Parts: sequence; C-alpha cells; structure tokens
Amino acid sequence: MTSLTTFYLSRLIGCKLFDARENVLGKIVDVYVQLPMNNQTAVDNSHRPKIIAFCINDGKSVRNVSLINVQIVKFNTRYKVQCQSMTDVPSDVLSNTFLLKDTILDKQIVDINGRKLVRVNDVRMVALSSGAFVVAVDVGLEGLLRRIGIFKVLKAILQPFHIKIPSKFILWDDVEAIDFSSLNIKLNTPFTKLNTLHPSDLADIIEDLGKDSKTSVFSALDEEKAADVLEELETKEQIHIIESLSIEKAADVLEKMPANEAADLMENLEDDRAAMLLEEMKPEASEEVRELLQYPDSSIGSIMTTNVLTFNENQTVGDVLNIIRQEKPEMAELYNLFVLDSEHRLIGTFTVRDLLVSSPETPLKKIMNDHPFQVYDYDKLDSISELVSKYNLLGVPVTNEKEELEGMVIIDDVVDDLLDKRRTI
Amino acid sequence: MTTNKNSFFKNIAIFLAILGPGIITGSVDNDAGGITTYSVAGALYGNQLIWTLIPSFIVLFIVQEMNARMGIVTGKGLATLIRENAGVKVTFFIFMGLLIADIGNTTTEFAGVAGSLEIFGVSKYISVPLVGLIVWILVVKGNYTFAEKIFLIFSASLLVYIISAVMGHPDWSAIGKSIVKPEMALNTSSMTMVLGIVGTTIAPWMQFYMQSSVIEKKLKISQYKFVLVDILIGSLATVVVAFFIMVACSSTLFEQHIQINDAKDAALALKPLAGEFASAVFAFGFFIASIFSAVILPLATAFYVSEAFGFEAGIDKKWNEAPEFYVLYTGILLLGMIIILMPNAPLIAISLWTQVINAVLLPVVLVSMILLVNKKKLMGEYTNKPIVNYIGWFTVIILVAMSLSLLVTPFL
Repeated sequence: MTSLTTFYLSRLIGCKLFDARENVLGKIVDVYVQLPMNNQTAVDNSHRPKIIAFCINDGKSVRNVSLINVQIVKFNTRYKVQCQSMTDVPSDVLSNTFLLKDTILDKQIVDINGRKLVRVNDVRMVALSSGAFVVAVDVGLEGLLRRIGIFKVLKAILQPFHIKIPSKFILWDDVEAIDFSSLNIKLNTPFTKLNTLHPSDLADIIEDLGKDSKTSVFSALDEEKAADVLEELETKEQIHIIESLSIEKAADVLEKMPANEAADLMENLEDDRAAMLLEEMKPEASEEVRELLQYPDSSIGSIMTTNVLTFNENQTVGDVLNIIRQEKPEMAELYNLFVLDSEHRLIGTFTVRDLLVSSPETPLKKIMNDHPFQVYDYDKLDSISELVSKYNLLGVPVTNEKEELEGMVIIDDVVDDLLDKRRTI
Repeated sequence: MTTNKNSFFKNIAIFLAILGPGIITGSVDNDAGGITTYSVAGALYGNQLIWTLIPSFIVLFIVQEMNARMGIVTGKGLATLIRENAGVKVTFFIFMGLLIADIGNTTTEFAGVAGSLEIFGVSKYISVPLVGLIVWILVVKGNYTFAEKIFLIFSASLLVYIISAVMGHPDWSAIGKSIVKPEMALNTSSMTMVLGIVGTTIAPWMQFYMQSSVIEKKLKISQYKFVLVDILIGSLATVVVAFFIMVACSSTLFEQHIQINDAKDAALALKPLAGEFASAVFAFGFFIASIFSAVILPLATAFYVSEAFGFEAGIDKKWNEAPEFYVLYTGILLLGMIIILMPNAPLIAISLWTQVINAVLLPVVLVSMILLVNKKKLMGEYTNKPIVNYIGWFTVIILVAMSLSLLVTPFL
C-alpha cells in the first residue's frame, strides 16, 4: 500500500470512498475543479485547476462534498480513497468550477502548440500539501489502452520485440478546454489561450467542433480576431456562425471584416437577416457593404475591396508617407496607391516602391504611372486572373463607366475566386 | 402568384443542394452483400419474403431520420457522441466489432467486383487490383463534392434492376397478394433469411456514415423538411431496388427451382430464363453496387475508428500527420483484396460471420442512438417523439430476440 502523489482521473472515478474507520461513504462520480482566478497571487501551481470538491453517489443520492485529509492510496492494482471527514458543499462555492470528467475526459480539447483538436484519454493529476491539481492531459495510445484495460497485457506481449507503446501527455498550460456545454454558468475568462493562435488555425479548429462549442468559442473571441477567423471559414460555416450569434455581436464582427468579404457573406444570408445586420452595423461600414451587394456575382465589383488610399497629383511623397504612418492601413491597401483628379476620376497609380526610392519632396505627378491598367466594375470576372498574372499586378484599380475610382481588386481575392471555381467543378 | 412560383423554384433549388446524404446512404445499403441476400431470398423463397421490405423500410427511415437530426443539432458524428457519452470501453467494443465486420464487408464488395466482372469475362486477378487502385486514387486524390456527384449517378443506375425484373415477366398479382397476405414457413433458415434482409438493409456502419455526411453538408435545422424528403427518397429507393431484385429472382429462378449461392450465380442463371440482356443488366447493377460500396466502406470505417479514438483523420492530411487513419484505410482495402485473391478463400464463411457480427452490433448501435437522441442535454427540444422511441425499441427487441433464437437453436 503506497500513498500516491500523482494519479489518473479515470481511475479515481468509480472508486469507493472510505472514512478513517474503513466505512464506505460512497462512490466517486466526478470532481469539481476551479480554474485559477486572475487576481490570485502567483503560487507555483496556481495556474492549474485545483480540486475543490467531490461529486459522490452514496447509494441514495448524488452529493457534492468536500473532504478533509484526503489520501489516495494504491491498494493492489486499484485506487482507494480515504478521508477523515466529509461535509456537503453549498452550491455557491461551486459557482466558478467545472466537473472535470464531464468536461474533459473523452472530450476534445485544443492542443495550443500542435494547433489542433485532440481527444483526452485521461487526466494526470498531482496531490500536494496545498491540494490536488490537474497537471497534464493524456492524449496518447498508452492512455487509451490503459482505459480499455489491456495496456499491461499488450506491454508484456510487445516487450520481447522491443516495441514501445507510444504515450503522449500535454501540459495543462498548453491546452484549452472548450466543451463547457454541460455547464450552466459562464466562466469569467474562458479561452484566453485560443487568442494566441493564428486565425486560420483557429478557423480549422472551429470547423471541427460541435455546434454548441463552435458558438461559445467564437463568441468568446474579441471582435478583431473573430472577424479574421470568420474570413478564413468556408461560406456555409460563416453562415452558421453568423446565424448563431446575436444580431448585435454579428454586426460588430462584420464591421471589422473587409467590406467585400462581408458583402459576400451577406449575399448568402436570408434577406431579412441581412437587412437587420445592415441596419445594426455602423453607417459607414454598412454603406460600403450595401454598394458592393449591388454588383452581380460574376462581376469584378463583387470581389473588389473599397478600402483604397487615394491622393491628388500635387501631394508629395513625404505627404503620402505621413498619411500612411497616421492611418496605419492593412497590408492589402498598400498593394496599389491611386491618384485622382478633382472629379474623383483615376489619373494615375503608384506603388510603395515608388515612394521608397523617391525623395520626400517629389510631387506624385512625377512618379505616378499615368496610363494605369484598370478594369470596370461591371466587367466579367473571367478575364481578371489572366491580366493579374500577365502584368504582375498586386492590386488592379476598378472604375465605373465615368472613370471614377470605385475600388481595387487585390490578388488574394482573385486567387480565392479561382480556387472556389476549381472546388465546384 | 409569381411569388408562389418563385418560392416553388427556390424550394426545388434548396432541395437539390441538400440532396445527397439520404439517397447515397440508401443506395450504399444495396451493396454486394445486399444484392446477394435479396437474390438468394428471391430464388429460395419466391415472393414469400417480399413483405419484409415494408418493416425494413420503416426502420430504415426512422433510423436515418434520427441520425440526420442528431447530426444537424449537435454537429457531432455518431462516433464522437458514443465516445463522449458512453466512455472508452463501450466505444472499444463497438468499434472493434465495426472494424472486423467492415473488413468482412469490404471483402464481400470485392467479391462482388470480381464476380460481376467474371460474367463479362474479366479475370479477378485483373479486376480486383485494378478496381482497388481506382478506388484508392478516387478517395485520396479526389474530393467530396466530386465524389458525391459520381455517387448520385451510381445511385440512379441501380434502378437498372427494374429492367431485369420486368424481363422475367413476373406475376404481379401474385406478388401483390404475397405482400398483403404474407405466407411463410417459420423455421431457422427462413428466419435467418429475414434477419439477413433486415441486417443488410440497415447495416450498422451506415448510421455512422449517414450522420457524418449530414455534418459534412453543414445542414441547418431550418432545412429539416428537405432532409426528410431526401431520407424518404433514399429509403424508398433502397427497398424499391431490393424489391425488383427479389422479383427478378423469384419469377425466374424460384419458378424453375434453381439453387444459387450468390448474386453472380443469379446473373448467370438469368441468361437462359430472361435473356442475355437481362443477365448483363443484372451483372452491371451488381458491379456498380459493389464498387460504390468499396469506395465508401473502407474510408468510412477508417474515419469512425479514428474519430472514436481521437486519431487525426482526413484525406487532406499527409501520411505522417494521420498515420493511424491511413494505415486503417489502406489496411482495410488491402485485406479485402488479398482475401478475395487467395485461392480457396472461405468466402461463404466470411460473409456469414460478417452478417453475424453485423446482427450483434446493430442492436448495440441502435440502443446507443436511441439513448443519445433522447438526451435533453445534447438534443434540447429535438429529442425523439414517443412514436419514434416505440418503433426504435420494438425493432431492437425483435432484432435481439431473432438473433438470440438463431444463436440458440443449433444447440437445442
């Protein structure tokens, strides 16, 4: 009989609980753990979930109890849990906790370093003088076989052949639990680790999640991140997400998206919902989207972005650099820069390279290309990819029939359009 | 009036976009094993067992509807739901059974490929490796939308069995009578046959496939009525094809007292009775059905086993990203092919044992499904209506009772 310092959750569940006089108090159903609070002082283990209470079945009912002087000992091959005394826990103590087995065991969690979903075969815990904590999750084959009960047999069979059964643990710091659907309460700072992931990795993860988790993970992201993730998702998935959010939240996220992406998404929504969203969005954002929505699907206008930087021909290189420093535009807006006349007509284009190689006092009319390559907003989409590749263009200006600048088609969207076409063949 | 017309066309368009999961799953039901079972049933019992298609249809419809509903509401596959709610041990039992049964099923599909092409004079040592390679390429290099379109064409071509049946000049009024007022001898072999028909129409792995394809299509609960129509058409198509296979064999082989062991025998025996064309059509349908299921089955199995045990899975992953998945997929495919190409392979024993494992697994999977679909926590307001539960439990009881009585009788 040895007292254990590290133990597995799966083997704790279903164990009999004894008091000091060897009376059976009940069977362990689950354990309540508490996520660390933000204001907590930094103790070594404070960032790991700590066992707060046990959920036990005493034969008559299921009770939430706290135990005093718990000891987990290994008795032959089984665990035995012993405590000095047991008291019922009022429900308000459990308000910021979750059931470990219910939310983690056998569920999918995000492996932050591996940037993917993994299924939890077991949870490794440690018992210290300050309490019992979650250390790591077991996602390897060893844990799976141990749960099924054939690990030792297989290990013995494979040993003569020098074959090792692979085991894989991930530290709790490097995972994010996501399936809180069984909880009635909202945790105060959920999914903080997810915000460190790249939007396209997050999008892949979200696509693989169940419905409830999808919504809760997405809602927990901040709006900038949410917009970036939404952009990376497939159209059908975007619609699912937008429909599952409240109108206010959905509108906030859509405002942060490039107008052409938002317009694409809205085209696929039901008309009423799209109208409600446009109503809820900030006027300047919804105006751009409304304009883009007017273009038919197969026209240049439907994939162009209206986020463009425009100048007049008398401004100097120095002026432009100052403006760019102030406005901090997205990378795509710098693919091509435009010079307009007083009537908003396109008279020239220049690139960031032109800016970098010219002295600050040079006026734009000296460096601009005054025969820019351009397309019309109602032109067919088919031609654009050839032109982009032929002339090595990153951004092509789009004008209406009066030669007024409407926006720009950027190479990323041309590529997306091509990929879409290939996918639907 | 114009708005009505518009919404009518809009509905048709929505339906066509949703179309797929039910119809494809229904068609995969009529795989090589299925066609063999229906042929033998028709040849051995004439019209006597045609009535079994009616309860089969009801159960098929109800089971698939539950799958579709669970898929839409939870967004999770059946394998995931079982693992998350029933724990590792139950999952292990179900999926080991599923894996073994599906290796057997895959073998049957390749037996179908070999058998049907032998009728057209192609040796199995050419047809099996060639088809195996095509299947592998289609899955690994193709994509889902493309594959689905091919599958839908496959499904439609299964209707060729109507031609085979009509060319045998069946006695329609006798068939009608036997459905309305079934008469059959109750004995071990007829009961085995009935269980075989039900088991092949509602194979366990189909439930996993159905639920995953609903999720793959990203269907919404607002599209539920279209999904129902899709399942209805799929289930109907399944029993209609089964019906015509049984009629084709009953009106010719049963009348002439010709014994057959598999669908290939049936196609060959049809030649002198219903003409060369009817025989060729029968063989063609058999080939299509076999290759269709040979594509879906190994892939589907590799997916569910990976999903249940948390292995990385997907044909968009590289071999070293998802080694377990690829080993499973390739392994199942290769094992099925190797068994067929072995001289003197015990094919009848393999197909018998596969059916037994299927018959044991089916009630287990059905019970898991009924328990899951009734969980408020998972399904919210979309749990089962009482009538669905009654039919579900009734089916489970009948299946278990029949399986048990068949397992016990040999020892009496």
